[in-house]
Amino acid sequence: MIAQALAAQRESWRFTPAAALSGPDFRPAGVPDSVLALAGRVLCPVGFHRAALVNGRWEAKHAVLKLPAGVTVEPLSSAAGLSEILDRPAPADLPLAREAGSARDGFVVRVSRHARVDRPIHLVHISEASPRAESCAARVVVVLEPGAEAELVEETLSFGDAPSWKNVRSQVVLGEGAFLRHHRVVREGTQGRLTLALEVSLGSRARYESHALNFGGLFAREDLRVSLAGEGAECTLNGLALLAGSEFADHHTIVEHAAPHGTTRQLYKAVVDDKARFVFDGLVLVRPGAQKTDAQVYNKNLLLSEEARVNTNPEFKIFADDVSCKHGGAVGQLSLEAMFYLRSRGVSADEARRLLVYAFGSEMVDRVALEPLKAALADALHGRMPEENL
Amino acid sequence: MLKITNLHAKIGEKAILKGLSLEVKPGEVHAIMGPNGSGKSTLSYILAGRPGYTVTEGTAEYEGKDLLAMEPEIRAREGVFLAFQYPVEIPGVSNKYFLKAAYNSLRKHRGEPEMDAGAFLKFIKKKAKSVEMDPSFLNRSVNEGFSGGEKKRNEVLQLAVLEPKLALLDETDSGLDIDALKAVAAGVNRMRDEKRAFVVVTHYQRLLDYIVPDYVHVLSGGRIIKSGGKDLALELEKKGYGWIEEKVAA
Repeated sequence: MIAQALAAQRESWRFTPAAALSGPDFRPAGVPDSVLALAGRVLCPVGFHRAALVNGRWEAKHAVLKLPAGVTVEPLSSAAGLSEILDRPAPADLPLAREAGSARDGFVVRVSRHARVDRPIHLVHISEASPRAESCAARVVVVLEPGAEAELVEETLSFGDAPSWKNVRSQVVLGEGAFLRHHRVVREGTQGRLTLALEVSLGSRARYESHALNFGGLFAREDLRVSLAGEGAECTLNGLALLAGSEFADHHTIVEHAAPHGTTRQLYKAVVDDKARFVFDGLVLVRPGAQKTDAQVYNKNLLLSEEARVNTNPEFKIFADDVSCKHGGAVGQLSLEAMFYLRSRGVSADEARRLLVYAFGSEMVDRVALEPLKAALADALHGRMPEENL
Repeated sequence: MLKITNLHAKIGEKAILKGLSLEVKPGEVHAIMGPNGSGKSTLSYILAGRPGYTVTEGTAEYEGKDLLAMEPEIRAREGVFLAFQYPVEIPGVSNKYFLKAAYNSLRKHRGEPEMDAGAFLKFIKKKAKSVEMDPSFLNRSVNEGFSGGEKKRNEVLQLAVLEPKLALLDETDSGLDIDALKAVAAGVNRMRDEKRAFVVVTHYQRLLDYIVPDYVHVLSGGRIIKSGGKDLALELEKKGYGWIEEKVAA
């Protein structure tokens, strides 16, 4: 059924190996026998507010939530008053999001008018090890009322040698002047698959800052749809994918400027080694009347092996006449000049290569303002550097 | 220290060096002058180990060892340093991190313990001061957005930090105004001692007013066609390269 649904989306899935999803005989994930501690498995420090879904179900034992007034983080299964958002149909061209719509559980984060969350909220999606191929679905709803502010870190993890697949539908609604920093760190295991459809709507002068970080996993497909519905809204979309082995990551983003004076700054980078593959498709759609739109879409890729592949397609569709739009895609290799320069100073070829790859990726890590996360990501970036003697 | 014998080299099918011989002893400063396209930069690059050149004949010995058989990083660790004509920009790698990686790789090679970040920072700040470089350049990406003069000064800073035994300066004067030239030359002169040798490659005599050589060689057509003392440089400045080339041809 999934294969059929995706086949109907031929255009946007043409570079995406859907067999990773339709191949294994996925069964709905069950409840693990015991609750395994998160310590040592997640990136973020214990000082953050935390909630976790294990195999798609809210795990109360993992929740650490001493939230200030006006802020709630709840399981979807018990959240009330959300029907208007939950019943919104997923876009017709995102069949997986439709499928995830029936998920029984998920995260609901609400921040009321002008409230601020004192510390970041860490949401963990975890697939525990299982002897057989298992899948689960989840929904995430984040609502920031006008003037509200929050920082969110979503981390997805999987364990074990059997195939696992998380299918997530997320909806983010930012009221007038609200500000959300949204970090999504994918650290799936070698058999982990993740599909995510994320819809974000911004009211007037709302700001959405996104960091999509792929630090592991067999297959990841993210469809991000941002709608700048109110005047003067700003969205910043950062991405970094570090891919090796036969990993695959795919980011399809559509930013819709529907009101005047909107700003988009998008930069996704990928470091692709071995036989890994990366797909970037970034469309900015400027609706009639969205004058003074200021949008930039860039994708830069570093290939480290002969067999690594990238498909990049930054694109604009513009139906307004007074706009500033820039885009670019680049696929390159390590600079031989820089390699020689470093080596001529005594730095070994392996170290020079790692230094240059790190430098390429660290630009995106540096954009993460959240200090403890930035440090953890810098460590993770070090840990994902190419091996010696490649 | 350095003994080059009958060196022939080419890029692709194009022969650049055609039987170059040169001997440099510790403490000496040799200037290599010559017209454009004579093979000056090729010589520096080959000695530093830049990929892309094929040595077809001849040898280059450094402290009795086969220099050409060493990887570029081994040459650096053994004490060979090339100050680049066009220093490379490396976005995202801070100058101080780069210097520390280089410095510690040399120490490791010598069997010395690596210097920790705090001690190293103090060490390079002092070195930066000695070459009159603003310490803010240490935090910037390597050479990124540096002016021509700042890049050359950064090369001299690396020279001062790595303290090589044999320093090759490739057109270090190119693109410098007189003040920058003086500062760079002063940095080099402070490094001169009886153990360290310099090979200064330059098109113009001007640099040699400030870095006074013991020997001057004229490189033309891939070979050294004339050698002399520092006065040879002055003569070249007055008469150009033509008269020697004609004499050799005759």
